Amino acid sequence: MSPAGRRVAAALAAAGIGLGALAAAGLPAFYESFLYLIFSWIALATSWAIFSGYAGYFSFGHGAFFGAGMYTTATLTTALDVPFLPTLLAAGGLAALLGAGVGAVVFRVKRLRGELFALLTLAVTFVLATIVLNTRIDGGPGVYLSAVPMPGLLASPTGTLYLLGLGLALATVGAAYAVAHSRLGLGLFAIHDDEDVAEVEGVPTFRYKLAAFALSAGIAGVAGGIHAMYVSYVTVGETFSITVPLYVVLMSVLGGARHWLGPAVGATLIGASLFAFTGGQQAILGRAVVALALILVILLLPEGVVPAALRRWRAWRPAAREAPASATPALVSDRQPGREAAALECHDVWKAFGGIQALRGVSLQVAPGEIVGLVGPNGSGKTTLINVASGHYAADRGRIALGAVTLAGRPAHAIAGLGVSRTYQIPRPFAHFTALENVALAATFGAARCSPPQARAEARRWLEFTGLGRRATALPHELNLHERKFLELARALAGRPRVILLDEVLSGLNPAEVAGAIRLIRQIHAGGVAILFVEHLMRAVLELAHRVVVLNEGEVIAEGRPHEAMRAPRVVEVYLGRTHVA
Amino acid sequence: MPSLTLLGQALVSGLLAGGIYGLLALGLSLSWGLLRLVNLAHFALALLGAYLTYQLGTAYHLSPWLAAAAIVPLFFLLGLGLHAVFTYFRVTEFTSLLVTFGLTVILESLIQWFWTADYRRYETPYATASARVGPLFIPALELLACLTAAVLSLATWAWLRFTYVGKALRASAEDPAMAAAFGVNHRVQGFLLSGVSATYAGIAGAFIALISTLAPSQIWAWVGVVFAVVIIGGLANPVGALLAGLLIGVSESVTMAVVTPAWAPLVAFSVLILILVARPERV
Amino acid sequence: MLLEVRGLAIAYGDAPAVWDASLDVDAGEIVAVIGPNGAGKSTLVNTIAGLQRARAGELRLGGVDLGGVPPHLVCRHGIALVPEGRRLFTRMSVEDNLDIGCYRGEARRARGETLERVYGLFPILRARRRQLAGSLSGGQQQMVAIGRALMARPRLLLLDEPSLGLAPAVVDAMFEIIRAIHAEGVAILLVEQNVARALDLAGRAYVLEEGRVVAGGPSAVLREQSRIQQAYLGLRDGDDPTP
Repeated sequence: MSPAGRRVAAALAAAGIGLGALAAAGLPAFYESFLYLIFSWIALATSWAIFSGYAGYFSFGHGAFFGAGMYTTATLTTALDVPFLPTLLAAGGLAALLGAGVGAVVFRVKRLRGELFALLTLAVTFVLATIVLNTRIDGGPGVYLSAVPMPGLLASPTGTLYLLGLGLALATVGAAYAVAHSRLGLGLFAIHDDEDVAEVEGVPTFRYKLAAFALSAGIAGVAGGIHAMYVSYVTVGETFSITVPLYVVLMSVLGGARHWLGPAVGATLIGASLFAFTGGQQAILGRAVVALALILVILLLPEGVVPAALRRWRAWRPAAREAPASATPALVSDRQPGREAAALECHDVWKAFGGIQALRGVSLQVAPGEIVGLVGPNGSGKTTLINVASGHYAADRGRIALGAVTLAGRPAHAIAGLGVSRTYQIPRPFAHFTALENVALAATFGAARCSPPQARAEARRWLEFTGLGRRATALPHELNLHERKFLELARALAGRPRVILLDEVLSGLNPAEVAGAIRLIRQIHAGGVAILFVEHLMRAVLELAHRVVVLNEGEVIAEGRPHEAMRAPRVVEVYLGRTHVA
Repeated sequence: MPSLTLLGQALVSGLLAGGIYGLLALGLSLSWGLLRLVNLAHFALALLGAYLTYQLGTAYHLSPWLAAAAIVPLFFLLGLGLHAVFTYFRVTEFTSLLVTFGLTVILESLIQWFWTADYRRYETPYATASARVGPLFIPALELLACLTAAVLSLATWAWLRFTYVGKALRASAEDPAMAAAFGVNHRVQGFLLSGVSATYAGIAGAFIALISTLAPSQIWAWVGVVFAVVIIGGLANPVGALLAGLLIGVSESVTMAVVTPAWAPLVAFSVLILILVARPERV
Repeated sequence: MLLEVRGLAIAYGDAPAVWDASLDVDAGEIVAVIGPNGAGKSTLVNTIAGLQRARAGELRLGGVDLGGVPPHLVCRHGIALVPEGRRLFTRMSVEDNLDIGCYRGEARRARGETLERVYGLFPILRARRRQLAGSLSGGQQQMVAIGRALMARPRLLLLDEPSLGLAPAVVDAMFEIIRAIHAEGVAILLVEQNVARALDLAGRAYVLEEGRVVAGGPSAVLREQSRIQQAYLGLRDGDDPTP
């Protein structure tokens, strides 16, 4: 565990011991009860944020998992006389299964938009509520748990619940911290910023979303199980009401949904202020105030309290100095054994979108050590070819392979892992990641598969290589276009690709910047990476490319050395019009 | 197997209930389809309209028709206000869902504050009036609601289809920049739509007051059903919203007659889930 | 001078697209802007049409400064755009699209007459007036786009790559129609990738390369210059483009 991790674990343990001792020493039942509620909200909000906050898929269905857990405990203890504590395992397990089930179906839908996912999860909650209401699980009258024996962790029932709540809250916050600093968390944060790019950089998006959603649901289930004992009378109306979904969203958004401690802070703040409104008419007012707070926070402080406070604090302290990276990056000498250079081959590739045939039987090859230029008029299919080769789209027909390994049909993250990287014409960096973190992500998930410290070292190296060494801690919106383009390059390189696909890397650069970019591309090539680049700037193509492939309307119309290919009659005709051909 | 009469009555009730669904869905379909903003508060607005109609009727003895006439301009203004907030904060489609979520709770709390959670019933002389067709009863107020829904749907359809403003609305929804290149002011369009949509919510509310018993929690009962109706009928499709409403209404009521009533909510929500998963591009 | 553009600089965020562009179009002229892909031609035309704001420079139509005019009011001054890729309202009928063209007051009053003229130029559209614009072929969609712009009764018509994605025969017909429109007295600024056609049609042309106007003059003169070969094919002076 890293030093920071040890500090957090120690802090959590200290909090646990301190708060636990408080109860053992004899806290009035009223306070035990109130604090239990805060702990429960901390667990609920934090578990919600582990998926929805980190990955950006706002779920309105946390109430479904909470309710599933509540009713699991209620049913097992009353109908089957299972002792209370083991039911918590079942509650968590069932809720996690439910989450995994919903996720398995829903995440298959490509790019399900945010508000649709929210509606869907809300609908799932209502469906579950109806089912529970109409079957023997509840049937209408509700379930009474007052006869269920409470384990005697502490002298009083409220004390026991207090301890259980405390334990769950600490465990959840610990889990949130652990996830945030793991590969899973890194992948989730990337998914939040740009899921397609995350997939292309090597993040297994489906698997990660499923894992996080199931974990989030499971914790909510356990919280529900505990809560069943707290209320001791479980009804559908109260369990599946809009309260849980509303409050967890608010608490997380207020505290900071992307930060592991944010929801806990939000839960404490909201919980404490709700304390001021208890009973009857006041409760109504309390809900209205909570909702108003949600609106204000979303509109005015969208990232939340904790990140805003952290930023203020960081602006105070001087930035930590990190040692500069060692000399020249060795592309060739570091090459992993068994990853020899291989040719990228596209054979007879077809791709249509709706009624438009974008690629008609395109065949081309990029041999190891080659720089191939891909040119052609607007709409000729150049970017489509790159999208298909990198796995962004699936080809309708045709073979795409890297050496002996077929690429077609594999998910984009697997293709990245095999050694194919790409850049985007309009740079798409992860907006909340610094330049260093952007590149480190590619090093972590790409073909190189580095561990976190290795990834950071790699990232530094590539940033130095592209001349962005001094901008390592900058966020993408603080970089100008030229720097963002080079960041794309660094990120593509950090994946240790065997082939790099560049999509109009020079567009928008002034002549001096273009010259610098050309130099850089030459250096990349010198390091042993094959390059396929799409470009409109003809003089750059002529300078850089060993071979040129000319596309028009989805077909290859010419191929060969640049000067020859650009003089082919068909090419001249396509670019300049008939009268130029004698 | 229930009798034919029972089924027939279920069909009638379903159609009439479906009319209300359609009326509620109309405004939401317009704003979501043409403005690309999800207004969850649409339901709360409708219920507010219902309570206002009730209040004007019981406390001030205004006939429902006069009450409705007062509500229309008020709700138009509310719609304008909401859109002003949206444009000032540059709210996106997803953020609008969260903001209106909060707004719904605020409105629900306000309603509960003023009118308490007790059930309210607006007693009017027309409440018991009903026509008889063979063995079937057709309650007059619900029939009127259904007819109003049909008239408004068709009128809206015609407005969008044949008038310059309607065409401008449709064009602006698809490509605001190009529409602007020909003189369409996207901002004004947005305010107009928001106002109209809120007005429809108010009118739906007026009928709800006349037909059902009111309780603040009813807002959430409508949400799933009406979203399902909007999505099935197609966004920005006024006639589609009505037809989808009728379809869902009939499915629910037949389910209620054949199976137990408590399962009815499942119909709409399940359809909603199916469509969101199977055909998300429709939305 | 109808259209005067002086020193226009346009950027997308911080990515500059056009530097210091200047051009003129006089009433009743056809002027072409040619240049390779990515040169900034569409950006320039979109800015003249009011879809985008320029960072610096002047834009005058008929002596009126268009700099501060909000996007939806630009067409009042007599400009109509046929954008790259047509950008029709695909979910609306052909006639609805044309109606949007004459949305603003004056044009709306003359709707009947203008519509007849448009259907006269494009008889096939009359037959398909109720069809959804999105279901038409590429060439027909281009006709709708041009018709939509004509409904606005402009003084200056901006055409952005009208031949894009169309079969050569269709393009021939298109350019004949553009000639006919010009004959009725409308000034035309034509952006075209296809150099031959552009120079055949226009009396004058400007060459845009990497965001700058690098050459300009009568078409007959430009046709001979190697500047164009350089820009498009990357060949240097002295390189012979013919095989």
